[in-house]
Amino acid sequence: MNEDERRRGFAVAFIAQARSDWGVYRLLAERGDVAACHELHYLQMACEKLAKAYRLRDTKSPVDDLLSKHTGFAKFVGPFFAAVLKEEYRGKDAQLRGLITRARAFAREIEKLAPAIDPAAVPENAEYPWERDGRVIAPCLYPFPSLELLRQGGGRAFLNLVERAIDTYAL
Amino acid sequence: MARTKDEAARELAEWHFGVEPDLKQVIRIVVEDEDAPDEPIKLLEVNAATVATGSVEPYAFAASTSVPFPTVIAEVTPEEYERIRRNEISSRPAGR
Repeated sequence: MNEDERRRGFAVAFIAQARSDWGVYRLLAERGDVAACHELHYLQMACEKLAKAYRLRDTKSPVDDLLSKHTGFAKFVGPFFAAVLKEEYRGKDAQLRGLITRARAFAREIEKLAPAIDPAAVPENAEYPWERDGRVIAPCLYPFPSLELLRQGGGRAFLNLVERAIDTYAL
Repeated sequence: MARTKDEAARELAEWHFGVEPDLKQVIRIVVEDEDAPDEPIKLLEVNAATVATGSVEPYAFAASTSVPFPTVIAEVTPEEYERIRRNEISSRPAGR
């Protein structure tokens, strides 16, 4: 397999896995009897792989570099808005400004759900127990208050855009 | 709708300044074979609202109704941009 075939192969695989993770997230989000950490874990994984799939379209960087380096979903959101939503939001600048601000905040919070991101400063994550102020806390018993807004209007708009980024991905 | 790549790049940057209040600077990267059909518009955006990661992460987008040319965009904080200028961040801006 040459470098371009590898790049395409990984890009297709990452977007497929992102789509599958997203599907599980949606299934879990519709249920009221599953701890929030599980749906958020799948949301975080879907977003990370989505960003990686778009990153893999960069034909100027070696594939192994792209695979091994951290890909920040929080750094994906702004470029996605810039490249994709210009026509759709023409004349609605104020509305889009609000959406971008909220989306950046959600993206940061979602990225923090990965346990390896910043365990010293932000130990709260969707997978492994952590210690805070002399207490050990399990993710399944934590309400993740910074992401409760995902269920409200601005959060739903953000999630629609994540789904759109997955659905409209093309090599 | 922009008809040329230069117009599209300018329109995109101007529009983005209008909707991103913390956007400080947009640098367009132009290469020798910029007119090649598959050569994307390449923008490095300096945005105080993005997160610092210590690296340049270009994301590539297909041509769309919004931007009728393939586009590569990377965001960095003002501090990261200063580090790029000082060659302390070795990544190639916007995929270069």
